[in-house]
Amino acid sequence: MAATLCRRFFGALRVSGVLQASPAACFPRLTLNLLHKNTTKVEPIYQCKFLHTTLSRKGLEEFFDDPKNWGETVVKSGDEWHAKHLRNKSNEDLHKLWYVLLKEKNMLLTLEQEAKRQSLPMPSPERLEKVEKSMGRIDLVIKEREVALRLLQTGHENPRPGEWRNDFLGRTYWYNAKEWPIPWYLNKKYNRRKFFYSPRVKHFIRLRIEQHLKKQARMKSLEKKKQLLLQKKFPHLAAQSQN
Amino acid sequence: MRLTTLLAMAARVKLPPDYRHGVYRPWTAAAKANNPPGRRRKKVFVEPISKEDWKVFRGDTVEILIGKDAGKQGMVNQVIRARNWVFVEGLNTHYCYIGKTADYPGTYIAREAPLLLRQVALVDPTDRKPTEVEWRYTEEGERVRVSLRTGRIIPAPVHQRRDGIIPEQWKDGPKDTSVDDALDRTYQPSLKIFEEEILELQGIVEMRRAKKSYWY
Repeated sequence: MAATLCRRFFGALRVSGVLQASPAACFPRLTLNLLHKNTTKVEPIYQCKFLHTTLSRKGLEEFFDDPKNWGETVVKSGDEWHAKHLRNKSNEDLHKLWYVLLKEKNMLLTLEQEAKRQSLPMPSPERLEKVEKSMGRIDLVIKEREVALRLLQTGHENPRPGEWRNDFLGRTYWYNAKEWPIPWYLNKKYNRRKFFYSPRVKHFIRLRIEQHLKKQARMKSLEKKKQLLLQKKFPHLAAQSQN
Repeated sequence: MRLTTLLAMAARVKLPPDYRHGVYRPWTAAAKANNPPGRRRKKVFVEPISKEDWKVFRGDTVEILIGKDAGKQGMVNQVIRARNWVFVEGLNTHYCYIGKTADYPGTYIAREAPLLLRQVALVDPTDRKPTEVEWRYTEEGERVRVSLRTGRIIPAPVHQRRDGIIPEQWKDGPKDTSVDDALDRTYQPSLKIFEEEILELQGIVEMRRAKKSYWY
């Protein structure tokens, strides 16, 4: 009785198309429960005017490669994107390319993790390097454009304001400004910091300078000693340097 | 420190200043076994040859001047610049057993020994004899190696890509961009920042105004 009920239940599910045979040729232990393509899409009740979403119904398939490549040990891939080609592309193209590369990267990372899980070598791991490098170059190109614009408009390359300041030990360093909600004269935490030093510190500044000069002199003499030793070992170098 | 920076630091192999480079590359297991951290070996003096002066590359034909196989010509297999080493394919070999286990004696193979840069010379293509070579510039401005005896340009070896692709024989796959699309110039310089342009294209109108903040 229970067996017949189960069979009819499964039959009903098969008719509605919820249960689907998973095409997991590459990873036999991994089963995919992909939603069948003909299930109705639930429309949202409210209007999404300002929300931009992809209308792709592909879903989880995009985390995996083309089924033809499943089980292959070598998957061929083309050249990566170079900075000189990316500089000729508009911002819109770069924006789209970024997301295409991101999805490819997610697919390759899934593949890498699954290969690790099954103790198998990942097919063509250079693809991941290529994608990461291309994404880095897109970021570089966009940063270059931003820096160029900022230089034109403000004359500064650095997005973050800063200045040279002394600390309480008399050392001079580049202070990067922080974004605060309140002005400096109301900021208790900021006012506790000391950007000046007392007169007693002058003696120690001199000592620090001495230390630095001594270190430089030591490094210079070490270089000279090394050069002499090299010239003893390779006599022709002495003749070359004279020329 | 950021996690990504930490991971990148761990991935990069940090070598001590007195590291002795061997036949195996520093990131390989064999090199790590031979040079565990804290191991200090006697210093080996390497003739300082600058990057610009280096003349021998992988794929070049060279002749060995000194050694067991003196007078023979071969193709350069591998170059280790840290020790000024050059490995010539099939020449200057010694024999050893590898893959030895308790019951298996191992495979008897010929292994190339490294040669110093001074012990090899580039071969002139005209008379196929070893020559002294110099870096010079052509009329077009290209930097080439010129043989001092005959004055002939020694062509650079064919550079093979690490992923094994030969650009002339390449056929685009489904995920590859076509050559025309890749070289198409769509950039229009404007005074808009990337973010502003994307907001405009997507039709997103930012009605929020940033609260006043102080930078110090």
